[in-house]
Amino acid sequence: MIQLSFEEQKGQRKFVVAWSITFLVLFPVLIALGLLMRLNQGEIIAMQPTTFYAIMTLHGLGMAGVLFSMSFAGLWYLIGTRYTKLSLGMGYFVFALTLAGVIGLTVATLIGNYAPGWYLLYPLPFVGTSWEEWSNGMAIISLIILGVAWIIGSSHIVSALAKEYDGAFNLLGWQYLGKKEVKREVPPIAMITTISLIAGVMSFLIGAVFLLLLLLKYFEPSLSFDPLLLKNYVFFFGHTLVNITLYCCLGWVYELLPEFTGREWKTNKVLVYSWNCTFFFILFAYFHHLYMDFAQPMIFNYFGQIASFSSSVPASAITMFGIIAQFYHSKTKWGIIPTAFLLGVAGWAIGGFAAVVDSAIAVNKILHNTMWVPAHFHTYMLCGVVLFILGFLFYITHSKAEQERNKPAKIGLWLFITGSAGFLSMFYMGGLNSIPRRYADYASSPIASTHDTGALLAYIAAIFIVLILVGLLTMYASIIFRLGADKRETL
Amino acid sequence: MLQSTTFLTIQSTAAIISLIATALVISVVVFLMTTSSVDEDKTSAKNKVYKIRGRYMIGLISCVVISLLFTLRLLPYPQFHDKPDRTITVVAMQWAWKMTDGEPNVKPDMLEGTPDISVPVNKQIQFVVTSQDVNHNFAIYDAKGVLLAQTQAMPEYKNRLNYTFAEKGDYHVFCLEYCGLLHAGMFATIHVE
Repeated sequence: MIQLSFEEQKGQRKFVVAWSITFLVLFPVLIALGLLMRLNQGEIIAMQPTTFYAIMTLHGLGMAGVLFSMSFAGLWYLIGTRYTKLSLGMGYFVFALTLAGVIGLTVATLIGNYAPGWYLLYPLPFVGTSWEEWSNGMAIISLIILGVAWIIGSSHIVSALAKEYDGAFNLLGWQYLGKKEVKREVPPIAMITTISLIAGVMSFLIGAVFLLLLLLKYFEPSLSFDPLLLKNYVFFFGHTLVNITLYCCLGWVYELLPEFTGREWKTNKVLVYSWNCTFFFILFAYFHHLYMDFAQPMIFNYFGQIASFSSSVPASAITMFGIIAQFYHSKTKWGIIPTAFLLGVAGWAIGGFAAVVDSAIAVNKILHNTMWVPAHFHTYMLCGVVLFILGFLFYITHSKAEQERNKPAKIGLWLFITGSAGFLSMFYMGGLNSIPRRYADYASSPIASTHDTGALLAYIAAIFIVLILVGLLTMYASIIFRLGADKRETL
Repeated sequence: MLQSTTFLTIQSTAAIISLIATALVISVVVFLMTTSSVDEDKTSAKNKVYKIRGRYMIGLISCVVISLLFTLRLLPYPQFHDKPDRTITVVAMQWAWKMTDGEPNVKPDMLEGTPDISVPVNKQIQFVVTSQDVNHNFAIYDAKGVLLAQTQAMPEYKNRLNYTFAEKGDYHVFCLEYCGLLHAGMFATIHVE
């Protein structure tokens, strides 16, 4: 633990509050965009495809960006107040760049109708487009700004930790694998942060190469690139970003859960093996996005499936069992924070399992790009990452006793869970019924059952989204008014 | 209406194992929440959990290895020894399909084809799929709306998808890769005779 002055602690607190307010404002707005999409698919409202796909793009980019940013901000706060000093000047620079990127993307999508989807497949942004030409340039530059922000922020955290713990190898926990006595213990959050953010920086760099190529193409349209190579780049970036968003959150679960269960959670040999394996699985699993590109060398598809299946071992046997060991017969009082963390792990497990199912090539050939895909990633984002974030927000605004007795917030949490379960079930049923994803509506379908099923499931999903929003806003009522106040236990 | 899925199709298998896994996860959550009031020494509690974890890990690794060995044999990719009875070239474009017999040596944008084509039943058909503009996805649906097979349609690449239609009837082609404004209105028909 490091010692910070009162002013330094207060500064870090203000910094995390700035990120939290951004999250709290943008997240329900992005949910509302999702609601509009499901209402359109459910034929409750009628939207032009140009508008639908611009909204779809903003929803995807916004959610991926906002959730990663908040998971990053949570890590920053916990590490910056406990394990190593982090520069607030650097932090605010990253924050300002992130806001600039968000504003640029919002303008590009809502005014310029920019709509190639959040993971854009070259050459789509340049061919047969329905959006303004300038929006392409603005979106590409905004994404580059976001990438630069995240590279700077991630590198700062990892380099500061590396200085504190005498090198990155120590942070990866490798000293636990030898026979020598460990001189200085590395907390799990530091190891997980390092592994996640190194993978993150690698993916941001590949993403930057991808975006710079697009920028070259934007300024010099005669250029052309290999679409399969660029598809590999974009999926490596997108897959890794989504994965590390969850892993960053797990970092703070490892850090905070012991405060509620009363059981310490230290780094050991098993944990080091587990997370170092996870690092490689993150990097190689992305190939499962390209199974249906038959031109891709087949060996990569094998890698994709083996890495995806294998990732279930460290995830479930080490982290999930670690969490079971934390809770089992621990006399934990089920306040909103431990409840959100436990349910978040459950959501991660359920969504992760559905992802592993789809990562079998033999299954993917039938489920790829059906509603099964949004089903599984919405599961571990909505019922995993978002619950971890909510748990964190309650942590920085509530004392242990307050979070135990906050009944309205608990009701809000269970409304959120109920809404999410219903909303996600509609996606899963869509996938099992071969309903295509990313369709503005199903009105043109030549198959009656595809239209009827797709529209009906979207209609029901929209009702559950309203429930999600009600639950979320109920929890917000507890969080928002306490963000300005200092929480005694964390200061 | 929701269509019924035949027992032990890929979809129903995915549904069953996912439901079992979900039920298991929920059971563990309920168990932990309802039994947490029991006070047990943390070392003893952890030892109990880690004993189960050891068995779980052996079981999980066995399941992963067995399922890899089983599923990696069921790949959709054409094999060298496959000799299709007929070849159909498919070109995707924003926002329509062109299909024609054989594999003409012309650029995709120069290919002349139609969005309807007839093929024989119980014969292996090889679809040579490409695109003349952006990424699309050639997905074959039966008349009940069940997805049967798919491959990406990529510019500059040819993806070969072999499929044998076991029943006569009309099958529909959907685009399953977002390709722009009219992505949701890009269809073709395969008549199986």
